Amino acid sequence: MTYELSTFDRRRRGLLQAGAALGAGALLPRLAAAQGGAKKFAGVTLNVSTFSAAYPTLLQRWLPEFEAATGAKVNFDAPSFPVYNQRADLELSTKGSAYDVVNVTFIYSSRWINSGWLTPLDDFIRNPNLTAADWDVNDFLAGARAPETGRDGKLYGIPWTAEALLTASSRFDLVEKAGLGFPDTTDDLVKVLRAVNKKERVAGFVADNHYGWTFVPYLHAFGGDVFRKAPDDLFPTLDTPEAIAAGEYYANLLKEFGPDGAITYQPDQVTQALKLGRVNFTDAGQLHLAQLGDPATSKTIKTVKFGLVPKGPAGRFPGTAVHGLGIPAGSKNKEAAWAFIQWALSKQTTGRAVAAGYGSPARRSDIDSTAFREKQVINGSDLAKLSLDSIELAAKTGHMKYRTVSVYPQVDQQLNKAIELIASGQLSAKQAFQQAQANTIAELKRSGAKL
Amino acid sequence: MAHALSADGWQGERRRAFLAGLSPALAVLLLITLVPAAALLVTSFTPLQLTDPSGTFRFDDPLVNYRQLLHDGRFLASIAVQLKLSASSVLLQLAAGLGLALLLNGKSRVLEGARTVFLIPMVLPPIVVALIWKIMYTPDVSPLHRGLEALGWPVRSLIANPDTALWAISLADTWQWFPFTMLMVLASLQMIPDDPIEAATLEGASRWQLFRHIVLPYIRPVLVVCALFRLIDSFKAFPLIYVLTNGGPGSVTEVTNFYGFIQAFNFSYWGYASAIATVMLVGVFLLSWLVGRLGWSDHDKR
Repeated sequence: MTYELSTFDRRRRGLLQAGAALGAGALLPRLAAAQGGAKKFAGVTLNVSTFSAAYPTLLQRWLPEFEAATGAKVNFDAPSFPVYNQRADLELSTKGSAYDVVNVTFIYSSRWINSGWLTPLDDFIRNPNLTAADWDVNDFLAGARAPETGRDGKLYGIPWTAEALLTASSRFDLVEKAGLGFPDTTDDLVKVLRAVNKKERVAGFVADNHYGWTFVPYLHAFGGDVFRKAPDDLFPTLDTPEAIAAGEYYANLLKEFGPDGAITYQPDQVTQALKLGRVNFTDAGQLHLAQLGDPATSKTIKTVKFGLVPKGPAGRFPGTAVHGLGIPAGSKNKEAAWAFIQWALSKQTTGRAVAAGYGSPARRSDIDSTAFREKQVINGSDLAKLSLDSIELAAKTGHMKYRTVSVYPQVDQQLNKAIELIASGQLSAKQAFQQAQANTIAELKRSGAKL
Repeated sequence: MAHALSADGWQGERRRAFLAGLSPALAVLLLITLVPAAALLVTSFTPLQLTDPSGTFRFDDPLVNYRQLLHDGRFLASIAVQLKLSASSVLLQLAAGLGLALLLNGKSRVLEGARTVFLIPMVLPPIVVALIWKIMYTPDVSPLHRGLEALGWPVRSLIANPDTALWAISLADTWQWFPFTMLMVLASLQMIPDDPIEAATLEGASRWQLFRHIVLPYIRPVLVVCALFRLIDSFKAFPLIYVLTNGGPGSVTEVTNFYGFIQAFNFSYWGYASAIATVMLVGVFLLSWLVGRLGWSDHDKR
């Protein structure tokens, strides 16, 4: 039995490889030409690592095509988000050669780029022998390229996802029944939640307990900020009246309208709760929210509605996140690594991903394509447009700069704790945010940051 | 005289031969235990952080991390949390393990089967245990919460409540590790000779008196060993906290080990995290020494 299986497996693999080689000829002629002919990287082994997500999964599936076209062998590792970040942070800091291609994680991007741990990609992009003429780096959203760019103005990562934090209502029918519309402001949101909370046993609001991500749009909306002026003045501003008011407002959303155990919800739990219609409102990344449009698993596909994060007294400041592929400074196969990135984010590959249902591309041509736009309209809400508007808004105001400074992970933790402390009734908003401020200053001093 | 000298020579040669035989193993032991520990200690005297590799071998202020620890409220609070968690979980494990061992100490097939079933939690990978309890403590999907609600005793989420979160972790840890005490005590119970028990029974001793005056003194050294093992292990508590509460709500379940992890892996402060680890190491040594000094494990004193 084992023998039969392994023989079958070998035959299947052989067929796949032959098919891939045939397909690769059609799909990758420009790449092959730019790389100076096929099989240029025969004998090279590339170690690629990203965190586990929809796009890397598609790339893993299509890897045989790249291998057949270039001759390189690729080991593609995609652990969970926190595991990947810890592993990559440690490996990059040693400038080791364990990885040839890595994901440039949004919150670590400034630390990794400005510490000199990644390779600038501009020379590869400019070189016609290494990059196909129609690859077009400018097709990637400017707002998505910005966080992948170092202080030296060079590009260190090519974005594969640009996603925005949006507001969703899984049971918008309850809101309509109450005679209200989709909440546009922070005041509207409370009014709507008071009207629909616990109606038909549906809790009003929950969010991923990574509050350093989900809460910050409210912090900005109330006129607060994380730092005085990132990235130049990193003195934290968590104890301002605006920050305290925002913290009180947000923790109260969880306390008053949250399901039991709201502060323990992780992103997948939030998505699941909305899909099953157990919770009505949330703020979450577009990639998670797109799952509410899956007819096979979502019970709320007919009642869901999406909108921008609410506007506060200071305006609207949607959160955005960008992840890209980059080459570690210590990689010994940089040309082959660039060939991989070029293939992974070529118009053909990203277009194919969109056709396969990928929900968060970073190429303008993909975002504008009808194939993508049709899939992003869920129950009348255009997720792609909402996301694009958010990314453009973020590029205009620059309010996301706080997120890519090297010490943000330290502040991120303090925000998570502060909201938990208020929502669980351990501290008042003022006490919690004063504590967060004091702890952040201590952490930043330890990092050697000049305050 | 000559005879004595030659005996000494032979003894000495034997000792040297033993030492020569042992030395490769000792060298390996030194290499794999002492060298990493020394590296930890040395790192704790530096301001090493991943984003600033220049701090790797800087010893200009070797005690800076330890001085900062004295004023780090989060670190000091984590020690209190650690002590609460360790004390509660070790005591619960000893009580549950001892109780079940006494109940399951017998020779029937049913008892044998029950013993095997009770061992399951201990052999599960820690992350699986954490996931089981994540389900148990998530009100929406938990059979525990649903059952209690059906009985008319609805219980709010235990891991989101700062008053119960630590006890919830302690309970999950107890569930995983009481079989260890149970197993050790069972083995010890089966070694108790029948004579003193029979004699005491004939004298009219009650079950409690039998337990108090014969069984307990006999198994006391095993209980001390179990407590020591579990105490040391409790300082390594990680997967349950990582999966169930992430140290929260706030910091109520943030034990020292977890705080060290955050400093090293979230903030990249390796020097500071090494100082935390060193303090923990010293603490565990001191506790083990104290437990040993209490003399409960001393057979000869009985």
